[in-house]
Amino acid sequence: MASELTKDRLLQAYRTMRTIRDFEDRLHADFATGEIPGFVHLYAGEEASATGICMHLGKDDYIASTHRGHGHCIAKGVDVMGMMAEIWGKKTGTCRGKGGSMHIADLSLGMMGANGIVGGGGPLICGAALAMKLRKLDDVAICFFGDGASNQGTIFEALNLATVWNLPAIFVAENNGYAEATSSKYSVACDNIADRASAFGMPGVIVDGFDFFAVHEAAGEAIERARKGGGPTLLEVKLSRYYGHFEGDQQKYRAPNEVAHIKEAKDCLTTFAKRVTGAGQLTQAELSAIDAEVAALIEESVRRAKSDPKPAAADLMTDVYVSY
Amino acid sequence: MSYSNPASVGIIANPASGRDIRRLTAKATVFPTIEKANMIQRVLGALGAFGVGHVMMMPDMTGIAAAVERAIVAHRAEAHIPWPAVEFLNMDISESVTDTFNAVDLMVARGVAAIVVLGGDGTHRAVAMRCGDVPITTLSTGTNNAFPDLREATTAGFATGLLASGRVSRAEATLANKRIVVEACGRCEVALVDVCVTRHMHIASRAVWQPEALEELFVAFAEPDSVGLSSIAGLLQPVRRDEPHGLRVRFGRAGGSGVRRFVAPIAPGLLERVSVAKHGLMRPGERVRVVSGAGTVAVDGEREIEFGRGDTVEVMLDSNGPRTIDVARTLHIAATRGLLDV
Amino acid sequence: MARKITYQQAINEALAQEMARDSSVIVMGEDNHGGEGSPGEQDAWGGVLGVTKGLYHKFPGRVIDTPISESGFIGAAIGAATNGLRPVAELMFVDFMGVCFDQIFNQAAKFRYMFGGKAETPVVIRTMYGAGFRAAAQHSQCLYSLFTHIPGLKVVMPATPYDAKGMLIQAIRDNDPVIFMEHKMLYTLEGEVPEESYTVPFGEANVVREGDDITVVTLGRMVHLADQAAQAMQKNGVHVEVIDLRTTSPLDEATVLESVERTGRLVVVDESNPRCSMASDIAGLVAQKAFGALKAPIEQVTAPHVPPPFSDALEDIYIPTVADIQGAIGRVMEFRR
Repeated sequence: MASELTKDRLLQAYRTMRTIRDFEDRLHADFATGEIPGFVHLYAGEEASATGICMHLGKDDYIASTHRGHGHCIAKGVDVMGMMAEIWGKKTGTCRGKGGSMHIADLSLGMMGANGIVGGGGPLICGAALAMKLRKLDDVAICFFGDGASNQGTIFEALNLATVWNLPAIFVAENNGYAEATSSKYSVACDNIADRASAFGMPGVIVDGFDFFAVHEAAGEAIERARKGGGPTLLEVKLSRYYGHFEGDQQKYRAPNEVAHIKEAKDCLTTFAKRVTGAGQLTQAELSAIDAEVAALIEESVRRAKSDPKPAAADLMTDVYVSY
Repeated sequence: MSYSNPASVGIIANPASGRDIRRLTAKATVFPTIEKANMIQRVLGALGAFGVGHVMMMPDMTGIAAAVERAIVAHRAEAHIPWPAVEFLNMDISESVTDTFNAVDLMVARGVAAIVVLGGDGTHRAVAMRCGDVPITTLSTGTNNAFPDLREATTAGFATGLLASGRVSRAEATLANKRIVVEACGRCEVALVDVCVTRHMHIASRAVWQPEALEELFVAFAEPDSVGLSSIAGLLQPVRRDEPHGLRVRFGRAGGSGVRRFVAPIAPGLLERVSVAKHGLMRPGERVRVVSGAGTVAVDGEREIEFGRGDTVEVMLDSNGPRTIDVARTLHIAATRGLLDV
Repeated sequence: MARKITYQQAINEALAQEMARDSSVIVMGEDNHGGEGSPGEQDAWGGVLGVTKGLYHKFPGRVIDTPISESGFIGAAIGAATNGLRPVAELMFVDFMGVCFDQIFNQAAKFRYMFGGKAETPVVIRTMYGAGFRAAAQHSQCLYSLFTHIPGLKVVMPATPYDAKGMLIQAIRDNDPVIFMEHKMLYTLEGEVPEESYTVPFGEANVVREGDDITVVTLGRMVHLADQAAQAMQKNGVHVEVIDLRTTSPLDEATVLESVERTGRLVVVDESNPRCSMASDIAGLVAQKAFGALKAPIEQVTAPHVPPPFSDALEDIYIPTVADIQGAIGRVMEFRR
């Protein structure tokens, strides 16, 4: 059973989910002070998805992310210090302060970038997967996209290409129920994004995005299939975001107590902790130790991000071309 | 002969069925929302033909109800045989099995003659837990189910109409079913087909498709031509739905002494080698304690309960399953007695 | 005498030589071989006008037919370029940029900058442009100024078979995204092309004809019309310097400015529509940086501000002509304060 998890892997899963949650909660708090430039879209609540999927990946596997990309970056192993500095617009950031929240990328880790264009990642990930196939590698490429992007033509084109070329590509539709302030119940004609898979000749599966184990197991099957040459899969992960579309969004379009109810009933970290301690796989002490380490890490990342230098004026003109 | 005032009929369509991981691990059918709505329209047409005037439907957020509502408007404009008035139950929607429980409770309280169920084994199980002695018409949405009928919705609606209009009696139109009650970790679940103890530590994506994870299997009936875990029992020793007993199977390791190895369709298109150490009859009313150490209990093919070492898992077979409409027999009676004459 | 081949053959030869040299070079696009999945012949087309014909059999598995799905496959070429390949994707007509522009200008062009210099996207997008084919408004535009506007893209537009080969080889070896513009009316143009592999560097304009009286800056197919006009003016004693920009990004400002400083007169000849065009860009450049040298107002010879028409009667007056260019040169030469 490929997807059975050892103790180390369970600890890693918890650490990743906790890191994403704390990173986002901290940004939520710091953004309110007005010190962080631009705007940020937070992934809190959706941690089980990025973590459950990326735990199957190595650095040569590619992912393309979305505007809500911090979780994917962390799960793919992008340095948290660099990310925090980037979001604060500092020269020490992952992208030297030129990308910001929506463009964090690290190709050396197979992270093709968060993307400010809804649906932008679909074609790109087909290309990464095509390269893997032509280079005879057993890597896979994952396209994360949301319910909003599920209605973009680029995603349809990418789903079609992936089957036509039998690519090692997995399309992960993170359906959090809202594209900005518009419900997916309204905007997705067939309601389930997974239903569209059959039209493109690939399996479509719905998994509970609050349940790390469900995501991990389903992703494991899809990724293993892709690595063996079995072709693409569309995984629809049903989940919810805790914060607004972007910070400052009051979420008036959501039902009163909708988020509170989800946090109470389904939170991925709470249910994970309950399961693994209940089954005797991990102890509360082990989880608490991770909580403390992650809290210190995030604190340190903010401390450094605040004190790190901003890019110099000369940096404006660099990094456009390799040579020009 | 006239049949005045046929009783109401309930319809439960599970929005979630037909999309789980079996689309990936097996070659299971994709069952789109729109086809579920189409099946409901075919049922409505058949019920309307028998004068059923009122149908209660479970509402949902995934588009089945919305598609049926659109179809009702279109039908009014063009068709000559009226459909029953469709009432979408006024209830909160949680997008979980609770919706099914609540809808069935409302339907039973309001005295429906029958409930038409569209879904898999899991949906039928949920309905069975609440429907009491109200008969159900079973319709499989998918190919991965052992309990519900895989048949055309029109004839299922036809048989339901014959029952609801009193043309065929309940005693003649329906069958009793067995069930298996599971008690573990303070929870009580009911299976209509099978209970499987697995070595998986977590419920995760729910389905069971890896033969090496199987520990023990208990089945209410065992049909050699079914698909899923119960097919293993069916291929060992068939047990009909109308026989009083069930079957229990203990899995072993390949190569162990006395272990039988054979191929069984444990999911659509997934023919796996299974290793069975022993099997025997499961007597009604007999409580059986599971001997495995830790894992999950799958009920009708879905992992439902995680248990650890020291937890007790007990199963028991009884004959208190739901009454189901026997479509073939009902239509046969209707034909031989001329009940369809107009 | 050196070997002569067509512009189209030069492009094909560049692709073949680079594919032979570097196994990471692949070619992809609609009907780039033609016949994929069909019962008949493979390499049935070799591209809509046969430019990539023959590569399919020489390089098995490396010439890929795509669905008619420009966002999908142009984006895929870009994605593949970030993962070890050097794709040459063909956007059949530049007019189709409208259905895939996001992947080009928001993705490929910006990766390197957005990612803090940590990305290389060595992709070439070959595309066919220009009027004269009676192909009407959606298959005849130039549009190179739109690409030129975007930092992060290189835009090259060979006017001769020699440049077509050398600049395509340069484009494939280049580590930035390159838009390679091929004028459909030039495919049959013959010219001297060395058999061996060579590159033509970007950002170096070609002085096609030297002259001290007036500078004509032009590009693409218009280079040939401008040269004919210059030849005709020579008979009237006007010595015209004709500059082929070759690449619009990077732009060889120095050659243009040095020439205008010397001649004091400028005509810009650009086949595209006039607003926000290469013509207005060059005119603006010279007005800013060589104002003191100018003896006359700058003239622009362009298509009018209308879409390319279909009827030959209209298209022939839409496209700038040799006579238009001669007229402009004459007016600038005759200008007196």
